[in-house]
Amino acid sequence: MNIPNGYIGKILRIDLSNKRIWTKDLDEATLKKWVGGVGLGAKYLFEEVPPGIEWSDPENRLIWTSGPLAGSGVFGAGTFNVITKGPMTNLAGSSQANGFFGAYIKFSGFDGVIFQGSSPHLVYLLIQNGKAEIRDARHLAGKDVWEVEDLIRKELGAKEQDVSIYAIGPAGENRVLFSAIVGDRGHVAAHNGIGAVMGSKNLKAVVAYNAGVNFRINDPNGLKEGNKELFEFAKTNGPIYQWGTGGIFSIVYAIGQLAVRNLTTNIYPEHDKMDGQYMRSRFKIRSKPCFKCPLAHVKEVTVTEGDYKGFVGEEPEHECLVAWGPQIGNTDLGAVVMLTREADKLGMDCNEASWSIGWAMECFDKGVFNRRETDGLDLSWGNVEAVKELLNRISRREGYLGNLLADGVMRASKRVGGEAADWAVYSLKGATPRGHDHRAKWAELFDTCLTNTSTIESTFAGVHPQWVDLPPVTDPFSHEEVSTLNAEFNGIRQFDDCLGTCRIASPHPKMVLKCFNAVTGWNLKIEDAFTIGRRIINLLRVFNFKHGMKVENERPSKRYGSVPIDGPAQGKNIMEKWQWMIGNYYKLMGWDLKTGKPLPETLEKLGLEELIKDL
Amino acid sequence: MNNVKVELWMWLGKELGNDFNSPSEMKSILEICVEDGTTVRKLFKNLADRYRPIEENIFSKENNILYPNIVITFNDRVISHSEIYERVLKEGDKIVILPTYMGGDWRGFDIPTPFFLHS
Repeated sequence: MNIPNGYIGKILRIDLSNKRIWTKDLDEATLKKWVGGVGLGAKYLFEEVPPGIEWSDPENRLIWTSGPLAGSGVFGAGTFNVITKGPMTNLAGSSQANGFFGAYIKFSGFDGVIFQGSSPHLVYLLIQNGKAEIRDARHLAGKDVWEVEDLIRKELGAKEQDVSIYAIGPAGENRVLFSAIVGDRGHVAAHNGIGAVMGSKNLKAVVAYNAGVNFRINDPNGLKEGNKELFEFAKTNGPIYQWGTGGIFSIVYAIGQLAVRNLTTNIYPEHDKMDGQYMRSRFKIRSKPCFKCPLAHVKEVTVTEGDYKGFVGEEPEHECLVAWGPQIGNTDLGAVVMLTREADKLGMDCNEASWSIGWAMECFDKGVFNRRETDGLDLSWGNVEAVKELLNRISRREGYLGNLLADGVMRASKRVGGEAADWAVYSLKGATPRGHDHRAKWAELFDTCLTNTSTIESTFAGVHPQWVDLPPVTDPFSHEEVSTLNAEFNGIRQFDDCLGTCRIASPHPKMVLKCFNAVTGWNLKIEDAFTIGRRIINLLRVFNFKHGMKVENERPSKRYGSVPIDGPAQGKNIMEKWQWMIGNYYKLMGWDLKTGKPLPETLEKLGLEELIKDL
Repeated sequence: MNNVKVELWMWLGKELGNDFNSPSEMKSILEICVEDGTTVRKLFKNLADRYRPIEENIFSKENNILYPNIVITFNDRVISHSEIYERVLKEGDKIVILPTYMGGDWRGFDIPTPFFLHS
């Protein structure tokens, strides 16, 4: 078989019900159509998970895929993608994590691994040198993801960077619906409860080695040149190089996009003691770079002040800073480091966890909950120790509130009902947004409600459209501009998610494409990359329609779509012309204006004629 | 005459010299007195004449517009580029210019025509 450059050419297949292990060769035509990452995963999800298979059904697939740039030498390219039918939306769910796994799985001999079935007891998968082994993991039951990493490394006699380990924590084992897959010491594939799917299969961890198998690069010199250009550009790309993703925190506050106390206000004067600049100048910092990444935006921090002085944890990314800072009314940065570690080690998506707990705190503040509903916890805004305890109870589904919130805020708020149901922040498809106040970030709010995968998909939040020859946003509160640009931008970021690269280390789509062409020799143009991305989006949209998606759910909850009452975006109302935006977007995407389904000619243009019958 | 404040955040406020006060690495602040009737466009045109980094990063003298990839707040409210140009400055007005936060180095790239101006 002719294996394309950049690929191993093999997918590993695991049936956990009967411990069957086999491999499938990947042909060039399939790879050219779907590339890798989310694209390749979406293809398998569509083909192998028919309607009627729910997220926890053993026949659901859990698909981990790398991409052609992972392990190629592109800086930071250790990213992988997980796709499945996820529990938050009961539709497709796709999420990426950086770190090392995307590179190591290729060095271990595979472009990806597809899990089906369900093991009768807890197991983990070891992949090494073109082979795989299912190992007993009953001794890892109840362990958090950091403990799992330690225990497996010890068991294998492996040093820190010999292996990449991704695992679920207690949350995944207990089917908390927003469980994440966490590994490589703090990297998280978080969205749509992919960790709960892993838990439903009794799969505790997946391990890949950093050695054994290699793959060809078409043009090593071209790759070296493209990689250098990309890195030099990444260094100029905003405050992230200098201050991490937390470097945007105060900017986000200044433009009204900081989520504060469950969107009840946009006032948070303590923002400058919570941002990346403050953290990196006050706390002790140690670099923890991803695979071959000189950018090294990932750090370990030691808290140097406050109640958590001496606590060591991963540097919170911007979304964790928001989740465990303003969203829960906390102003202590050290406590954010502590809670970030807590949520990660329990194996939860910090966004859904924080929107759920913030909602519960608002319920407590307004008297809907008292200590009976909270099982004795004082859920006053900013009580970080109560939040820590609640995270642990959620991970075990313990008590009334722990079990209620374990299903995420949409379901919890509907069960409680009354006016509290109006306070929950989510898209009606069932998942919560990333950790921003999107009422001041319309491009991302719109995307979050229209996405197939439960998290942003089509846009890069309207940032830098000129990188792909689109016009800039001149008015972030224009219904016309936002819906038009979201549609026009749609596709390129899905293509990125096929590659095995990190968006922070590899931010510029055209430069990334140059590296892609050097690795594969395929000489794609940016238009081709858009087409591949749009193919994936339309495939997943058809998948979702087949699995019961309703277009009336492509909108925000009442609070999520509300008008800010103060702050820099006070009075801005995206819902004023929501239906117009939907219509404009559908039209530009080539979707039916009434049903939202892709039109036959749209599918034909994307090489998806075979799906027309499905609609 | 009116006293107004201009805040330039992150790299947009770098290398501007001593006229600007920098309380932190985050921002540079200029307090400036402008004549009655001065618009925001005129203010930035004047600033671009005086400060090369503003000409390079914030205001295009050639096109007489602010560059894309900056976000503006006017008296602590986010405002679109098109809305701000003809605002007449009053005593105590505050303009904050921030980079679009996932980036900002647009240099070397053509600035395309906004889609609504396409023929």
